[in-house]
Amino acid sequence: MRRLPYIWTLLFLALAIILSIAIGSVFIPPKDIWGVIAGVFTGYLPAGLQTSALILWGIRLPRTVLVMLTGAALSGSGAAYQGLFRNPLADPYLIGVASGAGLGAAAAMSIRWPYTFWGLLAVPLAGFLAAMLTVLLVYSLARLGKTVPTTNLILAGVAFSAFATSLTSFLMLRSTGELRRAFGFLLGGFTQAGWNPALTILPFLVIGLGFLILNGHALNLLQFGDDQAQQLGLPVTRVKTLILVAASLVTAAAVSFSGIIGFIGLIVPHVMRLWFGADYRRLLPLSIIGGAAALLLADVIARSVLSPQELPVGIVTALAGAPFFLWVLRKAKNQGYW
Amino acid sequence: MFRKLLISLIAGSVMLAACTPAVTPAPLPAVTQAPPSPLPPSATAPLPTSTTISLTYTDGLGRTLTFSGPAQRVVSLAASNTEILYAVGAGAQVVGRDEASNYPEAAASVPTVGGWGGFSNEAIVALKPDLVLAGGITSPELVASLEQLGLTVYLLPNPTTLEELFTNLETVGALTGHDADAATLVASLKARVAAVDAKVATVTSRPTVFYEFDATDPTKPYTYGPGTFGDLLIQRAGGTNIGAQLPDPWAQISLEQLVVANPEMLLLGDAAYGETPEKVSARPGWETLSAIKTGKVFPFNDDLVSRPGPRLVDGLEALAKLLHPELFK
Repeated sequence: MRRLPYIWTLLFLALAIILSIAIGSVFIPPKDIWGVIAGVFTGYLPAGLQTSALILWGIRLPRTVLVMLTGAALSGSGAAYQGLFRNPLADPYLIGVASGAGLGAAAAMSIRWPYTFWGLLAVPLAGFLAAMLTVLLVYSLARLGKTVPTTNLILAGVAFSAFATSLTSFLMLRSTGELRRAFGFLLGGFTQAGWNPALTILPFLVIGLGFLILNGHALNLLQFGDDQAQQLGLPVTRVKTLILVAASLVTAAAVSFSGIIGFIGLIVPHVMRLWFGADYRRLLPLSIIGGAAALLLADVIARSVLSPQELPVGIVTALAGAPFFLWVLRKAKNQGYW
Repeated sequence: MFRKLLISLIAGSVMLAACTPAVTPAPLPAVTQAPPSPLPPSATAPLPTSTTISLTYTDGLGRTLTFSGPAQRVVSLAASNTEILYAVGAGAQVVGRDEASNYPEAAASVPTVGGWGGFSNEAIVALKPDLVLAGGITSPELVASLEQLGLTVYLLPNPTTLEELFTNLETVGALTGHDADAATLVASLKARVAAVDAKVATVTSRPTVFYEFDATDPTKPYTYGPGTFGDLLIQRAGGTNIGAQLPDPWAQISLEQLVVANPEMLLLGDAAYGETPEKVSARPGWETLSAIKTGKVFPFNDDLVSRPGPRLVDGLEALAKLLHPELFK
């Protein structure tokens, strides 16, 4: 039953999508939800459902899509990072995407941009560019001749992250009015309504995640170690670089609009590995689907517990995710998988 | 304790944006006459003025918005906005508020649409507001989201002076159809400010004041620096603000600097967080301050200086009474 894992994760995702559409700070009776969905197909919206339609169509659906994409991006790139670094502690933020994006966003927030299309794009754009610049910098710092030793990458990443995080804290303390915004970015959350964020990050995700899925076999080979993989015919440095770039691109795109959501990219790949095995050809797509579903559930919790206040989703991912992961870890038959 | 500091900072940030030079000054509302009333001249009953005039305003984001009539359903996204709405008599039109809006008491019964953690777009949409009154603390992302959902959002800029505050009051009055109430309110506030000014003009001494709004770390408490209403009102009430020499509007002062400055009066803006004159006297190193020796340590309602609403004038009067009790016998 090779397809069974896919069926389970897709069912889980479908359930999460339904919950995400159905639950919000405003209660919309199932009857009205059906009315709106029917209205989309028939082109006729009964009177009295306009507000419900606006909430479902203008707020919940775009948000659901953005959350799915973000969860998929973080979890997919997390799985790739773990395979690339052969390190169970690796997550998509390991070599500085998060700290770079946080620094870029905080710097952009300290400037008062005009209220225009580009002005509104300044923060996500700065976050994205700073994240990619950080990865580039860390990569070149870690480079030794023609090779990029994994240990060097991790250490350079950790050191630069500490540097960037301190600079971000400094900016936040010096900043005047933007503390809450910067704090919100660092904890992660989905603040923008409408389709723009989801549509903007979609191309990056399709290219990046697509590339990662196609490289499942390469990641499998890399698990034998660089030398072995090279002997097996893998152009190790080039493949590692490309996977690193693809995973970082995906993460940077996700982070730019949603802030730094922790834990998803670390834990979902592990859960998938514990449940369904460590074959990267299967682990990558499963992590992508599972990450989308997991983040959707976290977001549903984030916007319902203190409704109408919204919790930063980054708080929920770890608060609800950690106990769940520990439970999976204790229960899993697939022990010693790493 | 970190949270407490953060909350104070954010409460402070209400005015903080006002201190950055990039802030556009509070724009003066431009009133344009709409085309003549379509009613035939024979109609005897005059229409309410508000529906025959269309108002064009430039808000704090530099957007020009046109209103065809007063807003009937208003969602307030800032505590200061809520206070202004109630003060100009538009309280009955407020259908939603942010979590921090705790004044006046009547506002507590208005449903909240979010706050510290974030706002719920759908809760705002569900209230069907015809005006969302955003404030200086509202993020541009939230404004953009609400606009995308078809709502009218007016961002009331943070005032930096009492004059700009009065302009804001008049703007909100006009937006909600309470022009006359707003004018009356502004006139009475101006008279009260003038009364304080007249009294303070006679003072011979301007006592030094240290105003703390967060002393979670008593070796470096937070105080209002230059450009804040805390600073502005202390000076206007006839005091000398120790914090005025600090580089930042929301600044920490070291206990060393504080001991050297040796203020004659301590005001506890963090009284709401449980600071009391007794606790302050017990802080190590503070006993040398002359304010402690003379017992001039007073709790102070921080909302009166941190929220850019009509109660700033209450704050001014309260400060003047504390600083110069002899003037108010």
